[in-house]
Amino acid sequence: MSRASRVSPLAFVVASTLSVVVGGCGRELPLKVQAAQAADLVPQDTVLQDTSHKEPPRMVPPEVYMRTYLTLFGGLSPLDAQKKARGGDGANVFDSWNDYIASLGFPDYHVDIPRQTQTNALMVATFERLGVALCDRAVEHDLKSKIPVPVASRVIFAFDVPKGSTLPEPEFLPRYDVLHRTFLGYPARLGPDGRSKRFYALYTDIVKEQANALKAGQKLRFAPEEEGWAAVCYALVRHPEFHLY
Amino acid sequence: MCLSALLALSLARQAESAPPPAPAPAKAAPPREKTLDDYRHFRIATIDLTGRMPTRDELAAFESPEFDYDAFVRAHLIGPGYSERLTRIYMDLLRLEPNANFATTPAQLLRHEIIGPDGKPEWIYYREGQRRAREEVDGEFCLSPAETGVPIRPRMRINDADSKKPVPKKALDDATVLVKPWWLYKDYDAPTPERRYQATWNDADPEYRPVEALVSGADGKPVIQIRVCREEAQEAENGHILATGKTKQPPKLPGSRVRPLVLDSGYAQKHKGEPVGCASKLALTSAADCGCGKGLSRCVPGDSDQNGPAAFYFPNHTPLGPQEPIDSVRQQAQRWFPHWWAREALAFLEDLFGEDRDFREILTGRHTFVNGPLAQFYGSVQRGNCCGPETGFGMTEEGEPLFDPHKVPADLRPHDTGTWRLVPDRGPHAAGILTMPMFLEKYASARARGALLYNAFLCKSFVADSSAQLTPSTEPNLMKRPGCSTCHATLEPLAAYFARVEPGSFVFLPQTQFPVQNAVCKKDKNGKMSGSCTALYDPAFADNTSATLRSAYGSPAHADATPAGAAHEIAESPEFASCAVSRVTSSFLGRQTTPDDAPMLAELTQDFTKHGYKMRVLVAEIMRTPEYRRSNNLSGDAWRGGTDGGAGAPKGPPPVENVHGGSMGGAH
Repeated sequence: MSRASRVSPLAFVVASTLSVVVGGCGRELPLKVQAAQAADLVPQDTVLQDTSHKEPPRMVPPEVYMRTYLTLFGGLSPLDAQKKARGGDGANVFDSWNDYIASLGFPDYHVDIPRQTQTNALMVATFERLGVALCDRAVEHDLKSKIPVPVASRVIFAFDVPKGSTLPEPEFLPRYDVLHRTFLGYPARLGPDGRSKRFYALYTDIVKEQANALKAGQKLRFAPEEEGWAAVCYALVRHPEFHLY
Repeated sequence: MCLSALLALSLARQAESAPPPAPAPAKAAPPREKTLDDYRHFRIATIDLTGRMPTRDELAAFESPEFDYDAFVRAHLIGPGYSERLTRIYMDLLRLEPNANFATTPAQLLRHEIIGPDGKPEWIYYREGQRRAREEVDGEFCLSPAETGVPIRPRMRINDADSKKPVPKKALDDATVLVKPWWLYKDYDAPTPERRYQATWNDADPEYRPVEALVSGADGKPVIQIRVCREEAQEAENGHILATGKTKQPPKLPGSRVRPLVLDSGYAQKHKGEPVGCASKLALTSAADCGCGKGLSRCVPGDSDQNGPAAFYFPNHTPLGPQEPIDSVRQQAQRWFPHWWAREALAFLEDLFGEDRDFREILTGRHTFVNGPLAQFYGSVQRGNCCGPETGFGMTEEGEPLFDPHKVPADLRPHDTGTWRLVPDRGPHAAGILTMPMFLEKYASARARGALLYNAFLCKSFVADSSAQLTPSTEPNLMKRPGCSTCHATLEPLAAYFARVEPGSFVFLPQTQFPVQNAVCKKDKNGKMSGSCTALYDPAFADNTSATLRSAYGSPAHADATPAGAAHEIAESPEFASCAVSRVTSSFLGRQTTPDDAPMLAELTQDFTKHGYKMRVLVAEIMRTPEYRRSNNLSGDAWRGGTDGGAGAPKGPPPVENVHGGSMGGAH
């Protein structure tokens, strides 16, 4: 119990009033407060504090991002990957590396610009654009090639994609696991609860939407099931876990 | 088995410190299933050692019970990803890429279009300021305004199309010659060069790409040979000091000359007829019998005589290193050599880490690597940086250059961009990166060089004394001036190490000709110093008995010790090793080190110095520390925004699960 609570309310009011009235005369009214008796402290719970150093994941260096990107593109050189990403279809999914290196966070030693260690809106937009380019070109290479590419030689979609149907979840999951490992570096089963289901929902929604669009007479670049896998690829290639380590 | 334990097994421990092998277990325990943190740690290790994320195949191998982690980690500690990783730490710190153009005068050849005798346009190459025996054009373009119809001067852009006239054939033949230059001919120094670029010379290095204007004529046809002013085409190694006897401008300029005559300098009057090396700056300004050498190999071409003539294609950016450029851009001639300076520094660092040399060699190493363009630079172009004011002290050519031109491999040609050779010893004044043009150009003043040493290699910063009273002061000694002394008491002695390397030109001023205290440069009765003295000696530290070499006042002993002395002092100081360990550890942990890391850093530093300052040992040790295992130690669920880590929220984007689109921050 605190000392203040031991003061009688009436005494407090009187004392306060008197102190205001006589305060101007420079006199102090002694306030008598009953002293508390010494007592043992009330036992409290012990809280252990973890003082070890904690750091959140950091952004992968832009060199790592770009080298990984090139690896996912089949191990091409930057200029070859640029040529392939730009393609000849007028889709404008990729401009040039020169347009991206600043926003990817590369340092520019010529003018003493340090590397970026935090994301920003432009960087995130660049990740998205490059990711879309990668996934679209991978669909073209892995799934739409005139000469079918063996599964072992596919750069991203290293699994078979049955045509014309939405895969049931049990068949979706092992294929999704391939992409999960490719981009996030660990099996999908170790992902957070519900992630696989959400990705399956994404896949089925996209396949259905694209199938409906096809029925409505729209011209599509990819078949509905290819669009479904492209969407899964888009989501993983711009995932925070892909960009952090 | 957890990854840190596997890494610990994989990393080479020194035999003397290795624990005795554990007795073999009676029965091998079944392999533990790997956790998310195991995968994350493997991914971090792969990123750190290979420079990219693990592939599916590497993950599959990681998951296999038979996977040999020892081989994996050992292999990548000697791989290119490892040396790139280490190089990146020091490139981020030193930023050794050029941020300014380098004036290649007197090596720069310019080009002007005249009207030939047949009425067709013709290009003529010339040097700015070239001395010529013919008074009408001495120090000017080799054809007079009367012959071309217009005065021709570098960077003078005039609309002269109407006034140009065909140059008479005799005038053209007298003033110019045809040359097969080095940039067009692989065998430019042969009696009859024949291997022409893109004709009979089809195997040029990919990084050697002259701009089209140097290879093709105005009519689009290949250039077979070029027309050059006669003086520039001279091949002699040595010429003679020209003195015309003119010390005052005449009342009327000779012929059609429009600019004043070049008058004899005091040096020319005193040394008329004496020999001078044709690669020197003095030769351009004082010798009419010096040119660009055989095949113009002492000069660099430009495709115009306007500002910034172009010469070669090379990349603006190589974010993944020079072997993987992302562009190839038409560049100014004066950027050609700085481009290769940066490559030299990069090659030096990559070799330092890739070959696991003693890290102190970053400052003390006397070796370097050169390719064709660098051989051309060190062999002749750099010699053109000297001498101007130095001639007043009797130095007409560099006597003790930072890179001895005689150490340049003789078989490297200017176009051998892809051939790199080790030069084991650049000369007695060489000191790691400190005497490379890239470092000296990037950090152009003695103070900038000293400050970088202090910060980058001792991990110390200059912090101003905020309590100091800043009062007006005329005290030239910044080690004493109130408000300045806090930093400059340390900085000026460090800067003094670089007093003998001229800012901008890298010319080394030998002690014999340029003593720190020089009585020759004492102030006269009017309190003035001579012009050449003022350029090299500091009037603020001069009196009627002597003057002090610029930047040397902080420590004359350091000035005489030269950059090599700085390198040895810094490399041997105890802070050097701890600073290197701190920088590399911080980079691998992905965070600044803190006082909590002091015991680990002390142990790492001890190991680092014990093993001869080898980075590979240091990195191996870092990767086996618990701190590395715990770096970014929020568990997988926690950093997604879960609660199992108990370590606070990450700084990253909000953890919203939304795979249906949106930005990166929303797709979990």
